[in-house]
Amino acid sequence: MRFVDEFRDAELGRAVAGEILAAVEPGRHYKIMEVCGGHTHAIYKYGVDDLLPSNVELVHGPGCPVCVIPMGRVDDGIALAHEPGVMFTCFGDMVRIPGSSRTLLDAKAEGADVRIVYSPLDALRLAKHNPDREVVFFAIGFETTAPSTALTLRRAKAENVRNFSVMCSHVTIVPPLRALLESPDLRLDGFIGPGHVATVVGARPFRFLPDQYRKPVVISGFEPLDILQSVLMVLRQLAAGRAEVENQYARVVPWEGNLRALEVMSEVFTLRPHFEWRGLGFISQSALRLSDAYAEWDAEQRFSVPGIRVADPKACQCGEVLKGVIKPWECKVFGTACTPERPIGTCMVSPEGACAAYYNYGRIARDREIA
Amino acid sequence: MNAHVAAHGCITCGDEAVAMRVLRVDDARGLALCAAPDGERSSVEIALVEPVSSGEMLLVHAGTALGRPCAEELAQ
Repeated sequence: MRFVDEFRDAELGRAVAGEILAAVEPGRHYKIMEVCGGHTHAIYKYGVDDLLPSNVELVHGPGCPVCVIPMGRVDDGIALAHEPGVMFTCFGDMVRIPGSSRTLLDAKAEGADVRIVYSPLDALRLAKHNPDREVVFFAIGFETTAPSTALTLRRAKAENVRNFSVMCSHVTIVPPLRALLESPDLRLDGFIGPGHVATVVGARPFRFLPDQYRKPVVISGFEPLDILQSVLMVLRQLAAGRAEVENQYARVVPWEGNLRALEVMSEVFTLRPHFEWRGLGFISQSALRLSDAYAEWDAEQRFSVPGIRVADPKACQCGEVLKGVIKPWECKVFGTACTPERPIGTCMVSPEGACAAYYNYGRIARDREIA
Repeated sequence: MNAHVAAHGCITCGDEAVAMRVLRVDDARGLALCAAPDGERSSVEIALVEPVSSGEMLLVHAGTALGRPCAEELAQ
């Protein structure tokens, strides 16, 4: 398939792996964070890390949007789903994310009308087809998904669809990266930047990484060769003593991003002063709410949302996994009490979660053996 | 593991986008009928990438086209 097969060529992959080997200094340990859950998934699906020298370690970042949703927010969604007349819509993975006592799937079993949609537009369509119901869309995701919600809200306003509202839990990628770099727990050498977030925001917002922290960052595509090449580009920057933003994914990511997407986002959203991230705590100006112009479509203003804060379960170490401080298998409940079938933590729910990626691609036994 | 997840990763919520081919454009509604690599068809919001023509490839996430792959960059 065009745009895909070219980036899965095993021979080319081995050649790039050879160049990576030549680019590393023996005796130096490199820690490179792949920010995006899509990269984590691809790394384990294709065994990209098996092609890297043992002194190049890929650390998984906080870029899985399902994984960073705190339990209290799930409880808020469940409360909304139980409101009389509400049809609660969300993406597929969200229904399995544990709240403090149950999931949205459990709420559905209890009688709440919870429906999975593939896009916010599907939720708006449900609202138009069910004018006697209040359709709420649980919006999650980084800047990749936020334009989709924004365009849907603009459409709802233009078409005067009044029985549609959004529980906005969109988050932004820069503040958690800054929080990670300020954390004493973690020493990172460079970053593999999130390709599809950058399709929207462009490469420019990542300049703070080299400018303020002297860390190289390479915006990367999602095929195995993309990731290998991005690792090589980070290593070459380190070898040359450079720290820059480079764009490996130029076939998709324009330097300035998608200006129309940024414009509709700034019309529909505004920054929240604080937002709680699972495992990372409260981070200032790291999430979006609906702007005043869209207040009528804001589910949090239309309904009473409890907004109770719930501490993460003690056994679960998603926070450390999201910060890259521990590997998934180092969590006490990984693969035993916490599995994709019965997840305790969010990282085990989404296929982009580091724990699920480790578990699904059979990395448990091998990594334990090596340790 | 779910076969779709195994093939594509998380399409519903993650930082995942799919290259889709435009089959038909509905300019009046700002939508295009697009086909995924596995043949599955869906209506896609095209406001961020207009104008769009039948036959071209779009990068689609959560029902919205975010960009189009650049063939010249690909060739490099």
